[in-house]
Amino acid sequence: MVDRLLDKQVRLLEYLTSSNAIFGDRGDRAIDLTYWGNSRALLDLEARFSHEKRMHKITAVFPRTFELLGNHRAEIVRQFVRACPPTDIDRLRNAQQFREFLCARGQGEPILSPYLVDVSACEFACAVVRVGTENSRPLPDNGGVKPSQGWIRRRSGLILQRCAYDVRSVFEGGSAEDVPAERETLLVIGMSDSDEQPRISEVLPVIFSILSILDDWTDPAGFGDTQELSELLRQMEQHGLIEVRP
Amino acid sequence: MDKRAQGHPAVGIGYRAAIDEWTRENLQRFDVLEITIDHCIHGSDRRRAEIFDLVGQIPLTAHGIGLSIGTDTPLDLAYLDQVAVVVERLQAPAYSEHLAFTRVPGRDLANLLPLPRTEAIAESIIAKVRTIQSRISVPFLLENITYLFEWPESDLSDAEFLNLICRETGTGLLLDLENLYLNSRNHAFDPREFLDALPSGIVQEVHLAGGVTVDDPGLGRPFFADSHSHPVPDGALDLLDYACIRQSPATIIIERDDRLGDGDEILDDVARVRARIAGQRSELVHGRSAVG
Repeated sequence: MVDRLLDKQVRLLEYLTSSNAIFGDRGDRAIDLTYWGNSRALLDLEARFSHEKRMHKITAVFPRTFELLGNHRAEIVRQFVRACPPTDIDRLRNAQQFREFLCARGQGEPILSPYLVDVSACEFACAVVRVGTENSRPLPDNGGVKPSQGWIRRRSGLILQRCAYDVRSVFEGGSAEDVPAERETLLVIGMSDSDEQPRISEVLPVIFSILSILDDWTDPAGFGDTQELSELLRQMEQHGLIEVRP
Repeated sequence: MDKRAQGHPAVGIGYRAAIDEWTRENLQRFDVLEITIDHCIHGSDRRRAEIFDLVGQIPLTAHGIGLSIGTDTPLDLAYLDQVAVVVERLQAPAYSEHLAFTRVPGRDLANLLPLPRTEAIAESIIAKVRTIQSRISVPFLLENITYLFEWPESDLSDAEFLNLICRETGTGLLLDLENLYLNSRNHAFDPREFLDALPSGIVQEVHLAGGVTVDDPGLGRPFFADSHSHPVPDGALDLLDYACIRQSPATIIIERDDRLGDGDEILDDVARVRARIAGQRSELVHGRSAVG
């Protein structure tokens, strides 16, 4: 039976994204040398070029994470290649793949820094905020309920991140080698029009809880009607954490 | 005034968000900017706004990187419809894409790969080009790519393959001279033979760029890579001279994706291209008066 072009293209891409082609490893994908003959060295070069382009996108999102990987960087990247072939041209999608790989890999992995997952989460959130993906969020229909004046929601573009370590020092000019304190840290990551870089701020648990349920326009009366709460919501608006419907 | 309306090729660069501010400061130095359509489709609101803000300030042309026309699956019509909207919004005179494939279902190399150059594959591309032409309101152009390897069953030359598709569909060519230059060095053929084989008038746009030499121990010889990171080599500019004897591109774009901070180098490339065009026009005028 004659191969369709698609079958050949699939086999070619499986090879070009394999650790065989990229690192010269044995194992996961072989190339049909009867078919490709002496083109193998060129295919391997193509594979390395493409891999470098992909990793360039990923390292641009995770500079501190890669610093933390230190001597393990090459081995982690090798494992990433084996586990996660590229599925999209987009920089953030590739970064997301790497982050998910690290999260899965980080579970009970003693050689990696215990706060690596938190650092990578914050770096990924910064990249998402910077690109402004969240800004494209359409106004929710609120389940058919028309929002009224004075209703509130989390400001568009904010990302909430719960960390096991206080990794802010890593992003505040400190070295990635300065070990952050191990304590639950509730972070809000966002960027206003006047900011050149995303801001990473710690917030109180009560504020984090309120923000985490404010995906849609919500009637603040549902939270109660105390002066304390009104003051808290006013401060959250002042700090750009929530929007109030005019 | 639009240089294209005066019969000169418009000379410009590929717009890159990373140098948006620098590009705006130097806008008067370019006749045209090339917009990567996929940056409009997938980019952030801010990036999209920056791009669309250029409409009316300078002529824009539209270039795609996400179609993967060569993947042996039906075209992504939803993507094409998005392209059509962006092209219209940019008021672009043409939409170009690479004669290549980058992905298969479930795997995306994000790198341009060649196709087997056979009549059967050309037929499948011809059908796809016709679909594109039916959905996009401006002329569609195909771009020649640089490639490291070739498919064993290829039995047409680069020019024969391109010509066949262009002839059957009436589509024009975005001639990437850097790609031609690199291919000719990597695969040891005469790039002028390729240019000689193109019908006069087929080239609508030109790309130029500068790459790097790669010394790979597995190959035993240096390879030249299209990295869009360095000044356009004189060899590619010589090919521009040669191509423009029989071709009259409306637009010449210098592509730069790396070392973007060196703006003077980019402006110097623009000046070198303009000097070549001016030199060629002067030669043509001189030649005509000598004859006449």
